[in-house]
Amino acid sequence: MDFALSEEQELFRTAIRKYMNNLNGTEAARAVIDGKLDVVASAASGLAEMGVTAIPVSEESDGLGLGALDLVPVFEETGRVLLPGSQLETLALAVPLLESFGTPAQKAARLPDVAAGASTMSVAWYEKGTSLFPNSFCCVAAKTENGYALTGTKTLVPVIGEPDVFITGAQTAEGKSLFLVKASDLASVRLLSALDETQQLAEVTFDAAPGELLGEPGNAAEMMKHGLLHFNAALCSSMVGGMDELVKMTAEYAKIRVQFNQPIGRFQAIKHGIVNMKLDLETARSLSYYAAWTVETDAVDKVSAVHSARSFISKAYIKAAGDSIQIHGGIGFTEELDVQLFLKRARYYENYFGSVRDSRKTAAHALGWHSVSATRDAIPVS
Amino acid sequence: MKGCAGVDFTFTKKEEKFRGELRGWLEVNLPKGWLAGDRKLPEDHEQYSQFLRDWQRTLYEGGWAAISWPKEYGGRDATLMEEIIYHQEMVRVQSPPLVNYIGIHMVAPTLMQMGTDEQKDEFIEKILTGEQVWSQGYSEPGAGSDLTALQTTAVKKDGKWVINGQKVWTSFAHLADRCFLLTKTSQSEKKHEGITVFLLDMDQEGVETRPIVQMDGHQEFNEVYLTDAIATDADIVGEEGKGWAVLIALMLHERSGIAAQVFTLEQQFDSVIELAKTIRVNGTPLIEDPFVEDGLADLHARINGAKLNYYRNITHTLKNGKPGAESSLDKLLVSELTKEVFDFAMTIQGHAGVLTKDDALFDGEMQRQYLASFGATIGGGTSEVQRNTIGERILGLPKDLGR
Repeated sequence: MDFALSEEQELFRTAIRKYMNNLNGTEAARAVIDGKLDVVASAASGLAEMGVTAIPVSEESDGLGLGALDLVPVFEETGRVLLPGSQLETLALAVPLLESFGTPAQKAARLPDVAAGASTMSVAWYEKGTSLFPNSFCCVAAKTENGYALTGTKTLVPVIGEPDVFITGAQTAEGKSLFLVKASDLASVRLLSALDETQQLAEVTFDAAPGELLGEPGNAAEMMKHGLLHFNAALCSSMVGGMDELVKMTAEYAKIRVQFNQPIGRFQAIKHGIVNMKLDLETARSLSYYAAWTVETDAVDKVSAVHSARSFISKAYIKAAGDSIQIHGGIGFTEELDVQLFLKRARYYENYFGSVRDSRKTAAHALGWHSVSATRDAIPVS
Repeated sequence: MKGCAGVDFTFTKKEEKFRGELRGWLEVNLPKGWLAGDRKLPEDHEQYSQFLRDWQRTLYEGGWAAISWPKEYGGRDATLMEEIIYHQEMVRVQSPPLVNYIGIHMVAPTLMQMGTDEQKDEFIEKILTGEQVWSQGYSEPGAGSDLTALQTTAVKKDGKWVINGQKVWTSFAHLADRCFLLTKTSQSEKKHEGITVFLLDMDQEGVETRPIVQMDGHQEFNEVYLTDAIATDADIVGEEGKGWAVLIALMLHERSGIAAQVFTLEQQFDSVIELAKTIRVNGTPLIEDPFVEDGLADLHARINGAKLNYYRNITHTLKNGKPGAESSLDKLLVSELTKEVFDFAMTIQGHAGVLTKDDALFDGEMQRQYLASFGATIGGGTSEVQRNTIGERILGLPKDLGR
């Protein structure tokens, strides 16, 4: 048994961290708030040069053909600085979906560009007033001579980094189906005000937009659930990176901030609070490593492993950010300090493609808790 | 990048063979009816004591009493992974407790490291066979989390050490023949100086043991009153006045104790799942209640996380040789989770949870474990002490005001 990232993976982490340090930590995220979007593209091309974009792409499509575990250090480090971009959507959702369900022609047309960093993708999934997996989509795909034409509106679509392709869901005769739509074929893009201002969310409309079917028609939910195992594993790493930075920042502050003639970290109320953050961080890290391992090895318990990790980490990230604000005191409440950025990012991820409740329910079913064998009656209570 | 070391959860063939060998042995040698579920221990004190001593003797004869010891002392030179497998298997069959846990896992390894040849000859084999059961005398009424505040004194008179004081929370003392005893032999400005460890013979007039009844009705701890109890120079471990270093060395030997707790927690959680799946209210199993499902899924994630943390820390130990302060992290997580699991197990039973013993669901197992769980976050270093250790040694926060 060996439960640690390999030396190569740790070396790669060091390289990514160095690059993130060169970007001055959260400076890129803050630039987005100020509307300076150039940094998004330059950071993305920097990561592509390091080979990050080639990691999950198979060798046949000019990638490195590596697995979910190799993305762990990448997303921990980008998560640590809240790097703005569409890396998660592209590398951990669009690529697994294309690799698993794309035709050879679709793969050849898209994946080499992704691997080279020349193309980024996003997902236009949600519709107003519906849950993650509605019974049907309002957005419809009508069959045309050489494909489909999509019409409808999608919301909460991440558009940062100007993705050139969207994976989307639309209703066909067979049911809910997955499609690829080019960004240039969108009828309109209306930016929405996001609580996490380092993100860019939009409402996008299709007006007979040409759509390329991905996978079997009527199979969108199943394919998406498969893709989301990859996505959630990577999302967990990103959240772990953020939590790690929060613990570090908070502990450092508690060592230098003096009150009552003591560094406040000497007081158990503060010390134990930070230790509790650390406990959650280590649990989160272990769960995320394991989730990535089950995805990479296609282990039998991958559904419960991924959703256990996701449900725990989503909550723990929010709590870590909130606790960090409290321990920092007044300065923690300011715009100047980065902690608020982490809090808003944690909130942004909380319900992104599934809630804590959804994940717990999914894990419970995957663990077989609902396949009741023998039963006995409870002692009667009034 | 691919193909090199990294996350891997498989056991080697050699490790699996070890597991198979132990499993086979347990099937033949566990007390009669044990595997079939007849796991009642004798209530009578003498019979209880004899039962546990017999079990250790059986383990000894099979070569399974002290697998981590060197072969020259009758051990197996087990690797850390083999120790983990050992604990996994022992928890799986819910084996009877090891009456000489303290002797085997702490005292003997410490004597091997720093005992005199005479001490090694006199004690180590008897510890292994179970002929001599050990207790540890650390805490006192005025020295709990602050162990350095101990007041039990040993004074040399006519070539012998005369010991006076009181120990408390001394587990196994009512069964023990010997005690690994912390005393103060000189007053010093420095709190960690002047402490001396004696290997005290419990079978003497000056030693009186009184059991403490716990909140769950069990009597696992004792008060030990020392009134002119006698020890000799030959009973001192290490150097006179340097007992603190001996204590630290002893604690480092206990490298795999947390393993049993991790696997026990996992097993206990499974029993709560079993409860939620099998108990029906108005004809519906408890697990179908979203509140129950949600709470259990949350606990499942965190228990799995605690186990995986432990695996990560073992990996670290295997690569670096020495265990670090991470064991505090494991202990804290596992003990706090144990409390939460049984707290939730009580909640989901509804008002039926107020019953106990044979009248309760699962014959009162949840009630028993619930009450016992409160000891988990106190014994072996309170959660507060563990948090200090983690804060100071892992996060580098300033030392506590009291230190």
